[in-house]
Amino acid sequence: MLEIARYEGRNRVRGAAAATAALGGFALLYIFVYPTFAESLGADIDQLLEAYPEALSKAFGVQSLASMEGYLASELYTFGWLLVVGLYFAYAGASLIAADVERERMDMLLSLPVSRARVVLEAFASLAVPLVALSTVVPAVVVVATEVVGYPVPAVDVAAIHLLSVPYLTACAGLGLVASVVFDRAGIAQRVAAGVLVGLFFAESIVTDTDFDAVGVVSPTRYLDPNAVLRESEYALGDAAVLAVATLALVALAVALFRRKDIE
Amino acid sequence: MAALEIEGLTKDYGEVLANDDVTFTVEEGEVFGYLGPNGAGKTTTIRTVMGFQSPTSGGGTVLGHDVTDEADLIAAKRRIGYLPANPAFDEDVTGREILNLHASIKGDERRAELVETFDPPIDRTVRDYSTGNVQKLGLVQAFMHDPDLVVMDEPTSGLDPLMQRAFNDFVEAEKERGLTVFLSSHVLSEVRRVCDRVGIIRDGRLVTTENIEDLLHRTGKFVRVRVAGEVDAAAFDLDGVHDASCSTTDGRRADDRPAVDDTAEPDDTTDGAVGGRLGADAADPPRVDGPVTECTFTFTGDVNELIAVLNGRTVLDLDIEEAPLEEVFMRFYGGSDA
Repeated sequence: MLEIARYEGRNRVRGAAAATAALGGFALLYIFVYPTFAESLGADIDQLLEAYPEALSKAFGVQSLASMEGYLASELYTFGWLLVVGLYFAYAGASLIAADVERERMDMLLSLPVSRARVVLEAFASLAVPLVALSTVVPAVVVVATEVVGYPVPAVDVAAIHLLSVPYLTACAGLGLVASVVFDRAGIAQRVAAGVLVGLFFAESIVTDTDFDAVGVVSPTRYLDPNAVLRESEYALGDAAVLAVATLALVALAVALFRRKDIE
Repeated sequence: MAALEIEGLTKDYGEVLANDDVTFTVEEGEVFGYLGPNGAGKTTTIRTVMGFQSPTSGGGTVLGHDVTDEADLIAAKRRIGYLPANPAFDEDVTGREILNLHASIKGDERRAELVETFDPPIDRTVRDYSTGNVQKLGLVQAFMHDPDLVVMDEPTSGLDPLMQRAFNDFVEAEKERGLTVFLSSHVLSEVRRVCDRVGIIRDGRLVTTENIEDLLHRTGKFVRVRVAGEVDAAAFDLDGVHDASCSTTDGRRADDRPAVDDTAEPDDTTDGAVGGRLGADAADPPRVDGPVTECTFTFTGDVNELIAVLNGRTVLDLDIEEAPLEEVFMRFYGGSDA
C-alpha cells in the first residue's frame, strides 16, 4: 500500500518547497513591516479601520490592527492563509485525477492491479507533503519573527491556528478533488474549484449578520476564525470537526464518482 | 480456459456505436491480432477489457476474471501486461522512477533483461524522450512482471522498422514461452508475422475471425507493374488476378532529358529537383522508346506464375506489396457491414 502516494508525494517535494518558501517570505515581510506601521500610527492605528470599506474589512477579517495578533489574523491568516493557501490546495486537488486523465496517464496507472478508490485516496494523500511543509515551517517563522521584532505572539495560538487550518485546507483540496473527477481537463477542474472557493469566501463574508446568514453555512471559511484563535485564544474544535467531516464526505464523493467513470 | 473472452460487447456513445455486439475468444498461448481501420472500435474493446470503461451491454472475462467487476479484474491485472495506443508517463521523472513505481505494485522479475532488449534511456526524464523511446518504456513495463496475457493497442506504431523487427522477434520468443497476446493494429503487414489468428472489426462490428494464413491467402498482394509497349489487361489473365487495370502512355524519348537540362536556368532549378533527377537517373531502368504501360491488380495466386507471365517483357518497375486492410474490406466485405 501507499506506493502511489509515496511516488506522487516525492514528485510534490519541489512544489511544496517553493510554496513554503513563498509563504514563509510573505509572513516575514508582513511581520517586519508591522513595527514601522504600528509606531508611526501609535494609538490611532484602529482609526485606519474606519477608512476601510466595511465589506472589505469584513471579508479580510480586519478587526483590529492595534496588536500583532489582530494584524496577523487579518493580513496573514485571513487573506494569506484562508484565501491564498486555500486556493493552492483547491488547485492542487483539482489537478490530481483530471491531469492524469487528460494526459492519458491514467490508463497506465489503472492497468496496475490497483483499485480506483486506491488511486484517488493515495493521490489525495500525496497532498500531505505541501500540507505538512507549510503547516510546520510557516508557524515557526511566525513565532520566531514576531519575537525578533519585539511583538511576540503566543506560540500556542500560532500552533493552534495552523492545526485548526489543517481540516480547512483538506476540505479545500477535497473540493478540488471532486472537480478533478468530474472534469476530464485539469484546467477546467482548477478553474471550477478555485471559482467555487473564492465565491464561497466572499459570499460567506457578505451574508454574515444578514438575513441570508444561513447561506454561509456551506462555506469552509465560516469554520475557521483566525481572529478568535489569535486574539482571544478561542479554539473552535467543533468547527474543525465540521471541516474534517466535510473533507471525508468530499473524498468519498470523489471516490464514488471516479469508480463509475468511463476513462476516455 | 480461454485467456480472453468477449461476449456480446456493445458500447454506445450516443452518436457512435463504437462496439456492436462484439463476440470472440482468444485462446491461451495464442497471439491474436485485432485488426481494423482507425476508428473501427478496436480501442473501445481494449479499454473495456482493461476495465477503463464499462460496456453498454455484454462483457467478457480476462484470465477467467469478469472485466465489469473491479475487484475481480484487479486479481487478473497482476498477470496482465498492458500497452496503450499512446503510452504516457509523468514527464518530470525518469524512466527508472516510473519503472520503480510499477515494480513496487506489480513486480519486475524480468526488468533488467527487457531494459537491455528495448533499451529505453531510463536515466533521462520522460520529457526528453522521443515517441519511440516512450514506446520502448511502455514495452518494458508491459512485460516486466512476466504476465500471462499482454494486451497491446497498436504496439508497432511509433517504432522504427528496426525496432518493429525486434518487437516481432520478441513477441515470437514470448509466444514460445506460452504467453498469450492480444494486440490491435490497422496495418496487417506489421503484425502478420506474429499473429496466429486475427479478428477484423469495422464500424464497431466484428466482421470475421480467421487464421492469419487463410486471411493472407485471401487478401493477396497489391501489384503494380510498368512494362514497355502497349499491353492489354488481358495479358494478365491468370488465376488469382483481380481487378486488373492498365493504362498506356507515350513514354518518353531518350533525348528528352538532356534537352530539359540544357534549357533550365540554374536559378530555376532547386537543389531538390536536381537531386531528384540525378537520383532517378542512377536507379533508372532501361530507357525505352515508345509507349509504356502501367498495370495494377490484386493478386492472390502463385507469384511464380506472375513472374512467368512477365518473362520476355521489358519490365521497367515492379511493386508487390501487402494489400492494405481497406482493400481487403472492399474486396471481401463490400461496402456493407456484412
